[in-house]
Amino acid sequence: MTSNEALSPVIAEFNGVSFRYKGSTDVLKDIHFSLAPGSFHFMTGESGAGKTSLLGLLYLDHLPTKGRVRLFGQTVDSLSRSAKAMVRRQIGVVFQDYRLLEHLTAFDNVALPLRLIGEKESEIRRHVSELLAWVGLEKQMRAYPQELSGGEQQRIAIARAVIHKPSLLLADEPTGNVDDAMAKRLLHLFLELNKLGTTVVVATHNMELVRTFQFPQLHLNHGKLELIPPLTSYTDMATRLLNKGNKDAQEK
Amino acid sequence: MRKKNDFLFTKDATRFYFPWMCWLMVFISTFICGGGMLIYNSLTGWQRGVSESLTVQINTYDEEGRDRGELVLQDVEKALSILRTTPGVIGASVLSDAQMNDLMAPWVGADVAVTSLPVPKLIDVAIDADNPPFLEQLKADLSAHVPSATMDSHRIWLSELVQLSNHILKLIIFVLILLATTTGFTVAYTTRSTLKIHEGVIKLVHMMGAKDLYITEKYALLNAKYALFGSILGTITALPLLWFIISFFQKASETVFQTQYSSIQWGILGGIPIVVAVLAFMTTFKTVLSYLRRFL
Repeated sequence: MTSNEALSPVIAEFNGVSFRYKGSTDVLKDIHFSLAPGSFHFMTGESGAGKTSLLGLLYLDHLPTKGRVRLFGQTVDSLSRSAKAMVRRQIGVVFQDYRLLEHLTAFDNVALPLRLIGEKESEIRRHVSELLAWVGLEKQMRAYPQELSGGEQQRIAIARAVIHKPSLLLADEPTGNVDDAMAKRLLHLFLELNKLGTTVVVATHNMELVRTFQFPQLHLNHGKLELIPPLTSYTDMATRLLNKGNKDAQEK
Repeated sequence: MRKKNDFLFTKDATRFYFPWMCWLMVFISTFICGGGMLIYNSLTGWQRGVSESLTVQINTYDEEGRDRGELVLQDVEKALSILRTTPGVIGASVLSDAQMNDLMAPWVGADVAVTSLPVPKLIDVAIDADNPPFLEQLKADLSAHVPSATMDSHRIWLSELVQLSNHILKLIIFVLILLATTTGFTVAYTTRSTLKIHEGVIKLVHMMGAKDLYITEKYALLNAKYALFGSILGTITALPLLWFIISFFQKASETVFQTQYSSIQWGILGGIPIVVAVLAFMTTFKTVLSYLRRFL
């Protein structure tokens, strides 16, 4: 635990949280976990396990059906609309489908969070140009999303999520459309932010990344959450998978 | 790079029609308002003519030309009694012989005594301009109780015309309110359509922490800008039509119709685009705010 963690309240705290979409069964069941300031977690699990729903609860896209969610020390149920907006400003989200605005250039897409908080245009120009250069897109600054490749769009989405230095960064499959080298480069960007105090949650299927960057996992299995310590090797991963298989077989 | 106020929303089909809708509304409103003001100006001129006094005549000779003698005085008393008890009449008095002589002098000469002429007795009636009597009823009352009395029928006709003009004015105001309401509903409908088109953008900026007021203000300002553009165009294109109406009134009769606008009236006509822009801003503001409530 760093000194930073000791002083600040937890970033996110879930107590007995369940969630279901209207007219469906529970997608998340009795979730308990907390995110300490400056922590880094991978969120893993098969498709449909509830990763996107859990991220949605973290960025206030929906409220829990049951249980209590606290973000930055505040219970989300009791927040006013204005207070919810202020909480959201502390969160950066990288969406699986990028959600770039097609009528805006790469520059304007990345500048969006800064414009929403009323940052000066000169500052916006400086920060956005620097970040776009960092993700290797300085030449595509004036390009519209539809003129960019999938990987380039993903990098724009990541730049947009981190431009305002959020306290909590949530990324849903942020490396899905980039090669391994770029995936690692982007993860290093997240790491840099993490070192500066940003709490990071990266939902991913890429076990190679999980193994390379040894961080704990929030593993979702049929809506249930399990906290897994960092993977250290392929053997470690294989052992756990084997144990999990045995456990599942016993349950059956 | 985009301008600060319109970076959120792109142009779409509904946004294209929005200024033209405002143009049409303002064109019609300016036309109706301009015409209405001319009628109002003429009406107030006419009202001034009928609001001050009224004359009732009591015939001194019967239909066969015989002097009615004492009956005239009795009829005068009855007429005065009716007039003085009529609401809206603030005074009634018989013109004296001296006053009658002065009145007739230009026609019959100063040496001729009016009493020797078959002229009726005249009663000067002072009317409350703010609350005038119902002349048709007064005429009926006098005919029933004093058959020899007659009222100036020209004034009654003018009074009816004023009443008709008042009704026309009310109708114009009603049509203007109807137009404003229609504009409001159209703005709300157009806004809802564009919000649906831009739902993705709104959801995204909402998720990024944009406050309701921020999104609402941006949207309302953009709509007000489009409304102002369309409305100014509406006023500019309506002015030649107004000029045509004014010339038509001038040709018809410059003494009956007022063909000049006061500076305040010009201000009202010029202010219609601002009213429409404000209306568009307020309606959009309310519509967007209620739309955003559906998001968490």
